[in-house]
Amino acid sequence: MQQNYFLLGTLVTPLIGAIIALVFARSNRLQRSVGVLAGLIAWVFCTALLVQVHDSGVQTYALGNWQPPYGIVLVADTLGGLFAFMVTSIMIGGLLYTFHCHDQCMQYPAFVPLFLLMEVGLIGAMLTGDLFTLFVFMELMVLASVSLTAISDDQFGLEAALKYILISSMGTLFLLLGIGALYATFGTLNMAEIARTLLTGERPFLAPASAIMLLCAFLLKSAVFPFHFWQPDFHTTAPTPISAMLSSIVVKVGVYGILRLVTLLFIVEAPLLERWLSTLGIIGILFGSLGALRTYNAKRMLAYSTFAQIGFILVGIGWGQPLALIGAIVYAFNHAFIKSSLLMLMGVVASYTKTKTANFADIGGVGAKLPPMLGGLMLIGGLSLAGIPPLNGFISKLALIQGGVDRGDWVNLLIMVAAGILTVMYMVRAWQRIFQQKPLPSTVETKDKGDSLVAPFLLICVCLLLGTILAEPMVQLASETVRQLGDPLIYISAVNLPK
Amino acid sequence: MIDLLFALSIGILFGIGVFQLLRRDLIKAAIGFAILFSAINLFFMAVGAFEGDFAPYVSNVEAGRQTSDPLIQALILTAIVVSFGSFSLVLGFVNIISRRYGTVDSDDINKLKH
Repeated sequence: MQQNYFLLGTLVTPLIGAIIALVFARSNRLQRSVGVLAGLIAWVFCTALLVQVHDSGVQTYALGNWQPPYGIVLVADTLGGLFAFMVTSIMIGGLLYTFHCHDQCMQYPAFVPLFLLMEVGLIGAMLTGDLFTLFVFMELMVLASVSLTAISDDQFGLEAALKYILISSMGTLFLLLGIGALYATFGTLNMAEIARTLLTGERPFLAPASAIMLLCAFLLKSAVFPFHFWQPDFHTTAPTPISAMLSSIVVKVGVYGILRLVTLLFIVEAPLLERWLSTLGIIGILFGSLGALRTYNAKRMLAYSTFAQIGFILVGIGWGQPLALIGAIVYAFNHAFIKSSLLMLMGVVASYTKTKTANFADIGGVGAKLPPMLGGLMLIGGLSLAGIPPLNGFISKLALIQGGVDRGDWVNLLIMVAAGILTVMYMVRAWQRIFQQKPLPSTVETKDKGDSLVAPFLLICVCLLLGTILAEPMVQLASETVRQLGDPLIYISAVNLPK
Repeated sequence: MIDLLFALSIGILFGIGVFQLLRRDLIKAAIGFAILFSAINLFFMAVGAFEGDFAPYVSNVEAGRQTSDPLIQALILTAIVVSFGSFSLVLGFVNIISRRYGTVDSDDINKLKH
C-alpha cells in the first residue's frame, strides 16, 4: 500500500504545533505565532493532498505501517480532502484572529494549544478510515471546544459549556455504542471493510440499529432538530474566534459523518434515512430562520441562522440524487466561509464596545463610531448568506435548488426560497440596526481600539473569490466528489484489504 | 449463561446511568455519566472477550491455543482514557459552577434562559 505523507502531515502538524505552543507557555505572542504557523503548514499539506487526490485518486496512509484491517488507516478521498481543506483554510482565519484579539481568555497559556487540538480533532475525524479513531478524534474536538468555551470572557460560557458537555457526551456514548454494535457484527472497525460486507446485501441483526445510533450521534454534533437546543447558547458564549469555528466547521463534522453514512456504509438503508433527513432539515430551516428573526443578540442570531443553513444542507443530502448532493457539498463549503467571517465581524463590533456585548439593545447605532470598512464587509457577508447573485452564497443556493428541481420536490423548494427571504430580512435588519440607526439612549460607550479586521477581511475576500472565479472549479470538485461517492467501490478498493 | 448475565448487568447499569444523568444535582449527573461509560465498556467487553479461553499473549498464539480478541482490550483502554478525560472535565466545571453560583442544582443554574 502506498503511503501518502501529506495525509499524515495534515493531521500531525497541528498536533506538533500544540506541543510546541505548550513549550512556549510563557510568551503569549510567540504561542500565537506558532499557532498561525502550524495552521499555515497544515493548510499547505492539505492543499497538496487535495491536488494529489484530484490527480491520482484516493490517497491512504497506514499508521505505523500496520496494514489494514489490523492497523489504523487514514484515507483521503475527494470528500474527506475537500472537507479537510475547508477546515484548514478556516482555521487559519481563526488563528489569525487570535493575533489581535483583546479578550482576556487569549492570555491563558492553554488557549492556542487547545485551539490547535480542536483542529487535530476536526481533520482527524474527516480523514480517518477507522470508526473507533473517528470516535476518538470527535471526542478530542468536543473536549477542546468545550474547554475553550468554558474559559470565555462571557460569564455564561461555563454554563453553556457544562450544558454542552453533558449532552454531547450522551451523543458520544451512542456513537460508541453504535461502533460497538458494528464491531460485534462485523468483527472489524475498518470503514472500508464494513462497507464491503454491507455491499453484499448481508444484513446482520445489529447493523440497522447501529445505523440509527450513528445517525443520532452525527445529528447531535451538527445541532439538528431535535438535538439542537444547546447550540445557540454554546455558540454565542464562546470567545469570538472559537464561536466562528464552532458555527462554521465543527457542525460540518456531523454533515461529513452523515454523508459517509448514507453513501458508503448504509447504502441500502439510505432512502429511509434520507426521508428523515429532509424532514428534520425542513424543520431546522423554519425554526432557525424564525428564531434568528426574533432573537435579541447579534451573535445569537447568527447561531440560529446556522440551524437553518445546516437544514439546507440536510435537505440536499435528503434528496439524495447526485445533483442535490453536489448542491449540499457546495453549500457546506461556502457556508463555512460566510458564517465564520460574519461571526468574526460581529465579534469585532462587540470588541469595540466597553462591555463586549452584542445585544441589539446595546449596540443599536454603534456603527457610526466604528471603521466604515466593517459595515461594508458585514453587508457583503450578510447578502452572501442570503444568496444574492454575485456572491458565493448564491452559487450554493443555486446548486441546491437545481437539485430540488431535478427531484421535483416543490413544497420543500418553496419553503427553502421563503427561508432565503427571511435570511435577507434578518441580516439586513441587523446591519441597519448597527450601522444605519441613530444611537439609542441605551447604546453602550465605544472604545477606540477593537479587534483587528484582518482575518474577517481575508475570509470575505475568499467568499468573493468563491462567488466569481473560483465558483466553477469548486462546483467541478463537488461533482467529482459526488461521482466518487456514487461508487463506494472506489473508496473500498483504495484501502488495500485482504480478500 | 455468562451472556445473559452480561446483558442484564449492562442493561441495569445503563438504566442507572441514564436516571442519574437526568438528576437535577449536577454531581449526581456527572457520576451517572461515569456509570454510563462503564456500561458501554462492559458492552465492548461482552462483544469479544469470551471467544477464546486464553489471554492473547504471543506465547499462547504460538502454542495454537484459542485466544480471546485482543483488539477489544485496546478499545476499552482507549475508551476508558477518553471517558476519564471528559469525566474529570465535567467535575472541574461542576466545581467552578458550585463556587460561582453557590449551588449545584441545575434548576438554579439558568442564567442563560431568556
